Amino acid sequence: MRYFFLFALLPLALPARADEAAEARIKSLEDRLAKIENAPAKTSLSAFNPAMGAAIDFAYSHTNGASNFAFRAAELNIEAPIDPFLKGWIIMTGSQSGVAVEEATLQTTALPHNLTVTGGRLFASFGRLAHFHDHELPVIDRPRSLDTYIGGETQADGVEVSYLFPTPFYMTATGGAFNKLGATNARADNAVARPMDSFTYLGRLAAYTDVGDDHSVELGLSEAWTPRRYVMDTSVAGTDFNGDGTPDTPNTSAGIQTRKNTWRSLSGLDFTYRWQPTSGGARKGLIWSTEVMQNNERRFDAATNLPTDRVRSYAGFSYVQLKLGTKWRPGVMLDLTEDLDRARVVTRTYTAFLTYDLTEFQRLRLAFSRTTDNRPTGLGNNTVGLQWTGVLGHHVHGFRDR
Amino acid sequence: MKKITLLAALLAVSASRADAAKLRVVATIPDLVDITQRVGGDLVSVDGLARGTEDIHQVVMKPSFVTKLNRADAVVYLGLSVEHAFLPGLLDVARNPAMKPDPDTFNCLGNGCIDCSVGVGVLEKPDTLSRAQGEIHPQGNPHYNTGANNGPLIARNIAAGLSRVDPAHAAEYQKNLKAYLAELEPKIAEWRKRAAPLKGVKAVSYHKDVPYLGAFTGIDFVDTIELKPGVAPTPTHLAELVKKMKEQGVTLIVREQQYDAKTPAWLAEQTGAKVAVIGTMANALPGTETFVKLSETNLANLLKAVEHKGS
Repeated sequence: MRYFFLFALLPLALPARADEAAEARIKSLEDRLAKIENAPAKTSLSAFNPAMGAAIDFAYSHTNGASNFAFRAAELNIEAPIDPFLKGWIIMTGSQSGVAVEEATLQTTALPHNLTVTGGRLFASFGRLAHFHDHELPVIDRPRSLDTYIGGETQADGVEVSYLFPTPFYMTATGGAFNKLGATNARADNAVARPMDSFTYLGRLAAYTDVGDDHSVELGLSEAWTPRRYVMDTSVAGTDFNGDGTPDTPNTSAGIQTRKNTWRSLSGLDFTYRWQPTSGGARKGLIWSTEVMQNNERRFDAATNLPTDRVRSYAGFSYVQLKLGTKWRPGVMLDLTEDLDRARVVTRTYTAFLTYDLTEFQRLRLAFSRTTDNRPTGLGNNTVGLQWTGVLGHHVHGFRDR
Repeated sequence: MKKITLLAALLAVSASRADAAKLRVVATIPDLVDITQRVGGDLVSVDGLARGTEDIHQVVMKPSFVTKLNRADAVVYLGLSVEHAFLPGLLDVARNPAMKPDPDTFNCLGNGCIDCSVGVGVLEKPDTLSRAQGEIHPQGNPHYNTGANNGPLIARNIAAGLSRVDPAHAAEYQKNLKAYLAELEPKIAEWRKRAAPLKGVKAVSYHKDVPYLGAFTGIDFVDTIELKPGVAPTPTHLAELVKKMKEQGVTLIVREQQYDAKTPAWLAEQTGAKVAVIGTMANALPGTETFVKLSETNLANLLKAVEHKGS
């Protein structure tokens, strides 16, 4: 009877015990959750280190019977926010000619009124391809017109301010002041101070519009204005001070070195048309881009040191690139470059290129280019190049090099 | 004529004022445009970035997107770094203090950022991070919008985000959310039932963007046509894949609309498996403008391919 009574009570006791067990389990889970939620975030001393990446660009080229393996660039980038108002990036490039800081740039991130200030060593906003890094170009070699008129990339030490118009369509205005424009531009030396009117002042206006779903057009106007430039002429032999039979040159004695005043205005117009069909996804497309530059500058004859009558010269290029599937991008480019000093001397470069994107981070490019000029004993170069580019880690040039 | 011109001008002004009063939202993909419109109702005007037909990893950064983001009060995105090709680059130049690029996650930082991945049961988190594994996503597989069961979570995240950005209308967003879920959740239950014939079906996909679809439908995805994520198939890989498909009895090839049709067709010829074309974003296929229509179309295409195999 006693056992019967216990059995009768057992079903009543079991749910209570089950409830207690569930309560205990929930309590245990809550405790564990609280520990996780209240624990400090895991971190390390490297938590605030900048993002890093690199691009390796290597090429083989064969020109008129001579070949070369060219270590074009190992481009290392470091970038991070500096504080809530500023970010920074450094791009260092090692190449056959040594190691150089290509960009060391500070850029504001929180200015009002759609303004952004960029300063330091930067790629100034002149034209379109001119501020692409070499490995981001659609062709292996930078177009001759850009090399001649700008001096490689638009590397510049100075400050740039840009403004995004609050319009329904995309429009930006940029203004800047720099020591000079162009990495290999020898007209000025970054290490030498100058009067204010010897800086290069930049202005650019760029606009973009979609034309239907599949087409878009982008137009840019750029002007790099150097109001005054001083050309120091040290070609006149100096005095033989030490009596060794050879003049001491350059001779800085008064009356020997001469300073000539000049100026420079480089104007550019760039136009880009893109076709990105809806039906083809990212697989098909076409880009047609044309840039024209006018150089307006007092030039001096190397032999006579007298001003030449050559003031205005033109250069530019146009290319078309197709996108056929995810891998293949064939294209052609024509570059015309008038000589800065000799009137009527024009160099023409015809380039055919085929890019193969193995993956998003590895690319092969084959290019053939023929360079000629219109002098009787002028150029006649045929170059075949094969470029191999790989990207390590986080290495993107973002919206700028699109 | 003058009166008509005046009337038209007045209408235009009043329309633009009405539009200006709305919350300006940019959504990265058409699925999110659709759900944001449903949750936001008349209180929001939504602009989209991707068209839906692209590979989401290769959406091109257009300057017109910069203008949209510059003027936006909020940006709605999938997150988990799936928009890495375009969103961080655009946010970087959009000059909008409410949405800044997050250097650590490729996403967005600021009050205007609405990350739809919050709370998603993330699949395929990588054990090691190396590009030798292809174009993997450090935070795990980000294509959760292909799993229809994630629709309610996306909608809840959008409602929470809109309520945070525009607290004055939080009650209305919650009301719209409730109405949307009342429509969506029964459909999800119905799709689960309809998906029964897909359970256990062995399949390969072109890209590794279908684990959430597999989890929802029960399809067992055993491999991909791509060698690794983002890496095109090699002849050796395809030969091995044919062998594997035959050995494991793979009967279904899932081709995401944006990928090339030739290789899946060749694979079908070699193995006898059937090809189903799906969209990984709304608008990828005709008649899939909304999340619901995309989920329905994907399911119908999968069922059709499996039924054809059975017949």
